[in-house]
Amino acid sequence: MIRGLYSAASGLISQQRRHDTITNNIANIETVGYKQNTTPLRSFNEMLLSMTGVDGQNSNKIGTWTGNVFAEESLTYHLQGDLTETNNRNDFAILSNIAVDDLVFDQSGKAVRANGEVVFQPQAYFTLQNAQGEARYTRGGQFSVTSEGYLTTNTGDYVLGTNNEPIQLPAGTSLDGLVLTSDRRLVTSTGEDTGLQLLISRIDNPNDLIREGDGNFRLAEGTAEPITEDDAVEVRQGYIENSNVDVLQASVDMMAAARAYEANQKIVQYYDGTLQKTANEIGRVG
Amino acid sequence: MNSSMIKALNSMNSYQLKMDLISNNVANMNTVGYKSKSAVFEDLLTTMEQQPEGFSRDGRLTPLGFNQGWGSKVTGIATDFTQGPLKETGVLTDLAIEGNALFEVTVDDAGTLAYTKDGSFQISINGNREAVLTTNQGYPVQATLPDGSQGSIIIPDGYALKIEADGNVYGVNERGAQVSLGRINLVNPVRPDGLVQVADNLFSVATGANANEVVNRIIPDSQNRIAIRQGFLEQSNVDYTKEMTDLMKVQRAYQLAARALSSSDTLMQLANNLRNN
Repeated sequence: MIRGLYSAASGLISQQRRHDTITNNIANIETVGYKQNTTPLRSFNEMLLSMTGVDGQNSNKIGTWTGNVFAEESLTYHLQGDLTETNNRNDFAILSNIAVDDLVFDQSGKAVRANGEVVFQPQAYFTLQNAQGEARYTRGGQFSVTSEGYLTTNTGDYVLGTNNEPIQLPAGTSLDGLVLTSDRRLVTSTGEDTGLQLLISRIDNPNDLIREGDGNFRLAEGTAEPITEDDAVEVRQGYIENSNVDVLQASVDMMAAARAYEANQKIVQYYDGTLQKTANEIGRVG
Repeated sequence: MNSSMIKALNSMNSYQLKMDLISNNVANMNTVGYKSKSAVFEDLLTTMEQQPEGFSRDGRLTPLGFNQGWGSKVTGIATDFTQGPLKETGVLTDLAIEGNALFEVTVDDAGTLAYTKDGSFQISINGNREAVLTTNQGYPVQATLPDGSQGSIIIPDGYALKIEADGNVYGVNERGAQVSLGRINLVNPVRPDGLVQVADNLFSVATGANANEVVNRIIPDSQNRIAIRQGFLEQSNVDYTKEMTDLMKVQRAYQLAARALSSSDTLMQLANNLRNN
């Protein structure tokens, strides 16, 4: 009946979604390796409106209309976070700036080729194995060592080495006694090779990653390749990668979402007022 | 609808925990051998809303489905085992360990072992009227005695303590005569995550973990760069500047989360007032 009422309602729902996403970003300012999320909104498909025909005449076309809006996807900005030195030998951070064909990536990690093709910057991740034996990817490098010597995340997922096996430190050695080389091998302080090498995976389009919680991502389609020497990726021991949430942007976005929600609420009220007039005043007798 | 609120609440809880840890660190700035702690955050489980095929349209960047996280939580507490500064006290029973190692002490008559970095030892009199080297709280320091057995160090009457860098303990009397009293046991925390902090500045092996895997007994030498310093104490490794900076950061994060909470409260109020008459 009154289409705008439904548009305003869809606006309320979408702004609520935006607000939720921003709150989640704020909740993860201190989460190591967290990647900020954003919720792009999209309008509904275009519809062609036409007036129904009167007395056998053909119907008249009015034009197209895209009435409603919805939160389309939950998009993650897989951008590099700042590194902080912790001096904790269990902490690892990835610094990644993988180049693709001389393209210059903008601040959202995107570049457009001359033929109009959009390319996202590939990113590097620690490779994990969860309890079900499936591969997961993370940028959160605060690891711990179980009493059996396995290198795990804080939620118990195994960190994989280049041999695709969970990394197990030799008995009697701790991460304190091991040094990470520039090619990501773990060697003892005297330079002896332990045969362990961190598996860092390169994901060409990070948007294919699905967030799972606990800092982990799952790859929906495509495969992850181990990084090669040509990729500009560095892993540092004793550092953590901070969350890449932009606090200022988050607080501004939150205000904007709250006000947009309010505006939609007002519109609902105006329509309500119109309906009230229609129902109670226009039709009133006497 | 109120997911914003739940997220803000979750994160305020974890930020509060981080603040608690910081204040605990600051409170222990002058505790001998204290190791500073920090919180490890993870983002909470994500829920995935299914979207039908029709949602896959031009310009969409991610696979189908709309996922949202539920805030953050503290999944662990990391202990920073780096060396604290050594302070000279001149007290003969004050010992400091240079390097990554812990003293071994017995906490009960059954010989249960615990570990500590706190070397402010004392001489206590035990049930047999012997002078024994113990921690501040009276737990005997475990040592390898000259005959090779394990036990506590008993100091004969009229002898003063002399402890060498490699942990060997001697009693020296007024005439300069020396007797060997044993060697103080030191362990290397090979799997620091298998140690849990208990009261009285002590660490014990976590339940379920194998003590032999978690700690390794070592003898200080120039190779492993571990040494015992008599007359020194290892101060707490809390860095006041870092703690204050962290406190400011987490306080701001808490503030922002509180703002998000009140903002989602406003949204709910608006929804309640949708019908204005």
